[in-house]
Amino acid sequence: MRILMTLVLALILVPIGAGLMLGCVRLDTLRKVVVGAVTLAVFCGTLALAARPTPVDSGVVPFNHHWLNLGMLLVEIGMGLYVIVVGVRSRRPLIVALMLAQGGLMLWFELTQGPRLEAAHDLFVDNFSLIMALINGVVGGGICLYALGYMREYHEVAHRDVPDRRPLFFALLFIFMGAMFGLVFANNLMWLFLFWEITTLCSFLLIGYTQTPEARRNALRALVMNLAGGLAFALAIVWFHDNADSIELQTLITSKQSLALVPAALLCFAGITKSAQLPFSSWLLGAMVAPTPVSALLHSSTMVKAGVYLVLRMAPAVTGTTVGLMVALVGGVTFVIGSMAAITTSEAKRVLAWSTVANLGLIVLCGGIGTGEAVWAGMLLIVFHAVAKCLLFLCVGVVEHKLHSRDIEAMSGLIVNLPRVAVMMLVGMAGMFLAPFGMLISKWAVLKAVVDASPLLSVFIVFGSSATLFFWVKWMGKLLEVVEPQRRIEEKLALGESIALYGLSAATFLACLFFPLISSRFIEPYVLSVYGQTASLGQGNLLIMTIMMIFVLLFPLSFVWYGRGVKVVDAYLGGANVRGGVGFTGSAGQVQEVNLHNYYFRGLLDEAGLCRCGVIGCSIVLAVMAAAALV
Amino acid sequence: MAGIKQSPWILHYDASSCNGCDIETLACLTPVFDVERLGVINTGNPKHADIFLVTGAVNEQSKDVIRNLYRQMPEPKVVVAIGACAATGGVFRECYNISGGVDSVIPVDVFVPGCAARPEAIIDGVVRALAVLEERQRDTAAAAGSMDQVLYLRAQKSNAPQILALQKAAYQSEAGIYGDEGLPALQQTLEELEDEFDRRPNREASSLGARETRKDPEKDRDHVVFLKAVVNGRIIGAVRGYEVDDTAYLSRVIVHPYFQGMGIGRRLTEEIEKAFPGVKRFEIFTGHRNERNLRQFRKLGYQEFKTEPFTPAITWIYLQKERP
Amino acid sequence: MSSWIRLLIYLIAAPVVGGLLAGWDRRISARMQSRRGPPIFQPFYDVRKLWQKQSIVVRRSQNFYILFFLLLVIFTGALFFAGSDLLLVIFALTLAAIFFVLGAYKASSPYSFIGAERELILMMAYEPMILLTAIGMYMVTKSFYVHDIASHATLLVLALPGVFLGFLYTLEIKFRKSPFDLSSSHHAHQELVRGITTEFSGRALALVEIAHWYENVFLLGWVYLFFASSPLLGVAVSLLVFVLVILTDNVFARLKWQTALRSAWVVAAVLGFGNILVLSLLR
Repeated sequence: MRILMTLVLALILVPIGAGLMLGCVRLDTLRKVVVGAVTLAVFCGTLALAARPTPVDSGVVPFNHHWLNLGMLLVEIGMGLYVIVVGVRSRRPLIVALMLAQGGLMLWFELTQGPRLEAAHDLFVDNFSLIMALINGVVGGGICLYALGYMREYHEVAHRDVPDRRPLFFALLFIFMGAMFGLVFANNLMWLFLFWEITTLCSFLLIGYTQTPEARRNALRALVMNLAGGLAFALAIVWFHDNADSIELQTLITSKQSLALVPAALLCFAGITKSAQLPFSSWLLGAMVAPTPVSALLHSSTMVKAGVYLVLRMAPAVTGTTVGLMVALVGGVTFVIGSMAAITTSEAKRVLAWSTVANLGLIVLCGGIGTGEAVWAGMLLIVFHAVAKCLLFLCVGVVEHKLHSRDIEAMSGLIVNLPRVAVMMLVGMAGMFLAPFGMLISKWAVLKAVVDASPLLSVFIVFGSSATLFFWVKWMGKLLEVVEPQRRIEEKLALGESIALYGLSAATFLACLFFPLISSRFIEPYVLSVYGQTASLGQGNLLIMTIMMIFVLLFPLSFVWYGRGVKVVDAYLGGANVRGGVGFTGSAGQVQEVNLHNYYFRGLLDEAGLCRCGVIGCSIVLAVMAAAALV
Repeated sequence: MAGIKQSPWILHYDASSCNGCDIETLACLTPVFDVERLGVINTGNPKHADIFLVTGAVNEQSKDVIRNLYRQMPEPKVVVAIGACAATGGVFRECYNISGGVDSVIPVDVFVPGCAARPEAIIDGVVRALAVLEERQRDTAAAAGSMDQVLYLRAQKSNAPQILALQKAAYQSEAGIYGDEGLPALQQTLEELEDEFDRRPNREASSLGARETRKDPEKDRDHVVFLKAVVNGRIIGAVRGYEVDDTAYLSRVIVHPYFQGMGIGRRLTEEIEKAFPGVKRFEIFTGHRNERNLRQFRKLGYQEFKTEPFTPAITWIYLQKERP
Repeated sequence: MSSWIRLLIYLIAAPVVGGLLAGWDRRISARMQSRRGPPIFQPFYDVRKLWQKQSIVVRRSQNFYILFFLLLVIFTGALFFAGSDLLLVIFALTLAAIFFVLGAYKASSPYSFIGAERELILMMAYEPMILLTAIGMYMVTKSFYVHDIASHATLLVLALPGVFLGFLYTLEIKFRKSPFDLSSSHHAHQELVRGITTEFSGRALALVEIAHWYENVFLLGWVYLFFASSPLLGVAVSLLVFVLVILTDNVFARLKWQTALRSAWVVAAVLGFGNILVLSLLR
């Protein structure tokens, strides 16, 4: 067991250490070596951790507790002061107020309760944290490798006007990674809180990376909302300690509902802000100004997942209560609004951001329902979403550099221009919503769980998922259509980029093929340990899913008969084709270009209006939740 | 291989009709005549149609449209020209913008007379077109079934009508590239083609690009050699060439659209090269935007050596090859 | 009857029944317009002819999508008649439809593009109601499995009248009949030519037709499920529903896509969700 804890500590400290080191490295080659080595180490570490036979354990850290706590307090004070300075300099009184409230509360808490703040186990490892660690290590590692090549092109080709602050970038990326490991392994709520705040700060700094006015504005918005969540977190710790005399996460989950309800509600609130649920979604949309690796790592596959991680952890404490119902409502409304909003925009990263918000909403919905089946489904969603969405973000990053646009309309004919990236994007999209792939299995599981628990909530899923269908398929169609045979753009990828893209594409397939293994090895034991019973897919259904998978895998094989025995003619244009079918003769005899444009439901749906509805609706729901928790 | 008769899907196009024939055509679909009882569907889409019904004379606006629609129809297909205008240009024949009946642009199989043509006549025309369609389908199917038995033979003067029809069908894609009817291959009349069998064309006039004149004409080499590719008695490809001063001038490698891309054109070229055992070099030409032809010829060892503008839209590219 | 036999019967009989239904549809439509109409076997003649025609395409790979569309539609129906999970059936159906739509996108013609886009809108319109139908059936029978639902003792329609009506509404969309023939009209001379199928010809078009036959039989099978405890009534109602669909096809003009989408969602929310609300209140 000693080894396990050492491994966990190493996973937290090695990336943070590497991050601090990378902050001073200006040399590109050295950076490559360090990033590569640390990523490999983290990758192997997480795999080693996951491969251990009985991974459930909680452990004591072999350090002097007093000094450790003092050190953490200093880090916290340092971060707090930095945030206050930022707030003052940007003239945002809300930031200062939130930080002062939260910092003051924690400081007071530490100073008055200091000696009593002992946790029997500061760290613990169970199947859920293992899954999160795997995502963080494997997906996150991939993104760090990708970032090497991407950031070079970002500064040297695509965005010459942005000051090159790559040392800071990689430092933050790795510190974040370490903090994320800390977050999922922490049992001591004080530790959890510290790591939580570190991720908030990393996110803030990375969103503002380009230092443009827009980036700063969006970074500050993200900071405000996450600080609100942080305040709720701090309140939860103080409240829980006040009433239960414990600062352990495990105790919180297993204690009586009457005792745990208020802190659980507060933590759910923190989770909702972190995972950008309505009414707080705007920060995630704004966060898309950051370079793509940031969007992929923090804002789709790991940091926002920390929010839903917390909500799912709290699920046993809120299940069956009004608080739980309200959390589920927030998730449900976010799922529907997010999916519909994704229809209205043609900017690729924005679509991905909305889709992320929507899918996180689905996970929050599961957490709010809080039955074993629902939690099982929610955890599946976390895994599959992290892999597929990350792949999509990285592909969009590459496409943006090659096409100098991230407008979906500009991606017409990508299957010819950039065939490899286009295929990977298609794999990612298929992974997001198509039948045999993971996300759909998960959605199916969610639907079953919801229908069993409270059928009325299924209305969110049925409407939301049909909207999901629309925006993904039209995007796929855009990639596939070839209006005019164009020349291939040079598709050279940096080594790190290739590893990440191919790796994630393979992972999308593998996650689906090994779905039964993932479920039975990690997810079912966790659900079993918490709820005493577990859910799984029936054997017959697995068989059917396998058949479907074979169908989809057969599709590329059909290219063996690629267009044999067919005659190629121009598209039908009322017979007015000219110039090989890419143009037609207009009414006055002039040549018109063929131009295909997707539907965005302008005039029927409106992004701002949808947002407004969602914000108002979810704010009311949150108010009801607060009332229900207190009463 | 029956069945096409039971499901004739039509495409109706109004070239420049006064709408008299159009209304009569559509009247066929109304309850009085109800051609759907014969399985007829008015598809409005060349990709789905078997029978192309054209009304009205061909003018500058409709010429390219007719050609495009015809090209976009899958084989087997037939064309029915409905009414006097579609047959000959009718009363508009002498107009400045009228190039004549539908057969001035695409091969027509059935002409329905009348001004306006009566629905009964139109139905009758369609029924006749069905017979052509069925025969063509049988031919195509039989030919497609025995593509390993293509014969490459000398063509006779009696083959001229078939070769001309083939030429007009095959050159539709060429016309599609340039959007201009100035292609000599599409302008050629039967008399001119039959003439070619007797004596080689005047090279200056037909713009085949010769500089020297004959010095010592030998009688048996004077006329043009015609080769045809035959499957099941049906001509699906042809090529022609003649010899002057150790050079063989090849032209018009034509293959039926249905059989294009099966190597028949290449084989025809190789065969006709063999027909001139005495020459030292071969010369051939094609339009400058016909990438496919150029690629083919290069594959056969030809190299470009000069270009010559023909019309504003078309430039001929000349290719040559020395006998190895 | 074992599920394997049912499956086999479906695979063999569905295209025959579907084709005959299509022929019957054309004949009844003709009679409604005081015409004679084509022979009842006309759809088979059409498919036979299409099978012999040349395949022309705009983009070489477009026909593969159609092949997979057909395979997946057959797979969907096979799952359904083998008594499998209704939700899986829906997912397979969606996957099939997506292949169809992607094929039309691939063809890259303005007409098929807009047809594909509209087909997607229609999918978005009917998906909620179809899922709600499955959920409603689950709430009554406590199982998503078709064979459990089919062997339920009472008439499902009695507990699910709203869901049934909502399902009928989406059936109009699935049959691609007026007022919802936005994406691909059966009749020519419209602004979209043939919409989603514009660029498919020859065998690909024949495959589309056959896929529709399979699909229609599967959909009528689903209608039957509402009356499964009384087989005769079930068959009668399924056929009646088919006639009803033909009648609406001939009576109504086409709706705009906005109206189609909105109305389908309102129907799903009011009839479908309302029914489920009542059921869960009664529980």
